[in-house]
Amino acid sequence: MELDDLKNTWNELSTQVNTQQHLNASIINEMTKHQYNTRLKKIAYPEIIGVFICLAGLVYVVLHFWELNTAFLQATGIVAILVLLLLSITSLLSLQRLNTAVDVNKTYAETLKDFATKKIQFYKLQKINVTLSYLLLVTIIVLFSKFFSNKDITGSKYFWIFSFSIGYIFLMFYSKWVAKFYRSTLRKAEDLLNDLAA
Amino acid sequence: MVSKKETFITAIKEHEGIIYKVASIYTNDVHDRNDLVQEIIYQLWKSFDSFNQKSRLSTWMYSVAMNVAIYHLKKSRRKIATVPLDGQTLDFHDADNSEYEEKLRVFRQQINRLNLLDKGIVMLYLENKSYDEIGEIVGISSSNVGTRMFRIKEKLRQQITKNA
Repeated sequence: MELDDLKNTWNELSTQVNTQQHLNASIINEMTKHQYNTRLKKIAYPEIIGVFICLAGLVYVVLHFWELNTAFLQATGIVAILVLLLLSITSLLSLQRLNTAVDVNKTYAETLKDFATKKIQFYKLQKINVTLSYLLLVTIIVLFSKFFSNKDITGSKYFWIFSFSIGYIFLMFYSKWVAKFYRSTLRKAEDLLNDLAA
Repeated sequence: MVSKKETFITAIKEHEGIIYKVASIYTNDVHDRNDLVQEIIYQLWKSFDSFNQKSRLSTWMYSVAMNVAIYHLKKSRRKIATVPLDGQTLDFHDADNSEYEEKLRVFRQQINRLNLLDKGIVMLYLENKSYDEIGEIVGISSSNVGTRMFRIKEKLRQQITKNA
């Protein structure tokens, strides 16, 4: 379909849209009162719940830190605290991204630049998040067995074999999946940025 | 004396085609489109005070609507259902419009091969906007619009050759 064909189709569609009246004063009035933020709260629930879970876990590990009686367990506890803190921060960053108000004073090109840049940042953040989640999983297994059964499983060779082999398989599949799933999206975002800079 | 709200409602009724067309280009289904229409109107109202008479009302509306559409792209991936307006319907996807939907689908298939920048430029070109006006809305020079239009035509031609 060349541009002229597109124009013909567009003109046809335009005629149809222009002859139909979809909006009346009452609907428009209702839309101006529409609180988009209420919808945003629903969208933000997964992030809010995520932050609460991370913070609850963080508080629990901090409060029970004294139970960690070896240097290795204490190091694991510190790693868990840092990971939980980082995950909370990344969730809050996602929330902030969602709450970004529409800046109608920007031009279309500026909005697109912003859009493509944030998209690239988002996918980088996702990759970090999953790696952190895996790290958290291992530390939580170690810490919970200590907290709830008073066992130090770090001495077990099976634990290390299991956590490393599962971790390796998981990260390998995940990185392949990310590459496959996001490659075209990332390329499009990068191409768009290049195009805007041209 | 005519209130601000009345002036706004008259302006929207007069230019509702712009809103529907922008929403049609940037969404892939009727629910998402209706969601975007609501959002555009809400944002137009919120920023109605910032509209200065320097540019035409339609130019300002295109600019706001296209910006909102880009923000909407980020949120619509979250698959959140639209909040229906009490007792009112915005859905224009009925039996009479199936032909419209089909044409729109084919049209979108072609235009979605372009990146978001070119997509916006093409839409304004199809709306018979001058290069100056397209440049004003998009935020690039009119000569740049001309260059890009040339490249877009090439891209569309190459697409046909590929598909042939």
